[in-house]
Amino acid sequence: MSIPHLNDDELNLAVLGEDLPPEAVEHLAGCVACVRRRDAFLTTVEMARGTDPDEATQVQVRERALAAWGAPNRHHWARWLAAAAAVLVLSLLPLRFHRTAPLSAINADAVMLEVDQVLDRDPLSAVAAEEIVDTVVPVSAESGERSVS
Amino acid sequence: MASVPQRGPALRREDEGELVEAARRGDRDAAGTLLERHELLVFRTCRRLLPAGEDVEAAVQETLLRALKNLGRFRGGGSFGAWVVAIAVNLCRDRLRRKRLVPFLPLEVRDENGADPFASVPSSDPNPERVAMARQAVQRLRKEVSLLPTRQREVFALRFFVGLDLEGIATALGVDVGTVKTHLHRAVQRVRVAVEEARP
Repeated sequence: MSIPHLNDDELNLAVLGEDLPPEAVEHLAGCVACVRRRDAFLTTVEMARGTDPDEATQVQVRERALAAWGAPNRHHWARWLAAAAAVLVLSLLPLRFHRTAPLSAINADAVMLEVDQVLDRDPLSAVAAEEIVDTVVPVSAESGERSVS
Repeated sequence: MASVPQRGPALRREDEGELVEAARRGDRDAAGTLLERHELLVFRTCRRLLPAGEDVEAAVQETLLRALKNLGRFRGGGSFGAWVVAIAVNLCRDRLRRKRLVPFLPLEVRDENGADPFASVPSSDPNPERVAMARQAVQRLRKEVSLLPTRQREVFALRFFVGLDLEGIATALGVDVGTVKTHLHRAVQRVRVAVEEARP
């Protein structure tokens, strides 16, 4: 009586190189068709694997990783320095803002005080020169009409 | 753990622990040796988990750097290679999530080295029909893998393209070996059937 061909599960085990039931091992030893099915798959996998990168590429990539590994100390310092600078700038900003705001207020008050003093001395100085002329001697009056003011 | 061929003098497992300790103390040579041993795993992982057009080299570099910066978190009992691959997997997931990219295995004719990924397909085969069929099968396999659910795709890629064993995959993905087996069998079943359709 001939032993039947390997079923799917047995063929998968054969492909993976795992232990087969004794009767399947016996069959595989003498069945060209089953051996061909197993080998066809393994050959196709081998071809699909493709080529490995060349030695030069591997060395290049490795060296870059090693160089980057050696660099953290520098980055650490730079990072700490940048953080310290940022903290310093942020801590000074409120001071600057606090100082400029009252100064602006003081200047405005001084200007208004000065304006009030000038107006007290000479109220007409608050009116533009052309307006004074137009009010005292209207343009229409020059042409013989009555002034409305 | 992995089937990646080692370059230079073979290092024993206990040597790796010493290398990790030395690298933790800032020993650049030890760190370089560690990276050299596992860089190919990271390359293969990033290449297979990131879609075409993504900068694989940048992803590998970032993975290696993260590994070096987090050496203190590595538990000495496990495989360092699987631990680094775990970092690579997480980085690839982050990139895909951030850019909302649809993950897939590249189907383009040229790979990132400018090489023909079908170079290993026997083009000198006197039977052109067989060559065409083999290429078709490769394309079908890649497409089918790209259509797998995320976890199945990751498990398949780590097993067949990166070369990790079940324990290594479990460590890299943070799941147990039983879960890896389940996903792997489902993925193999689906991909194998697709390949057989393309390559009867």
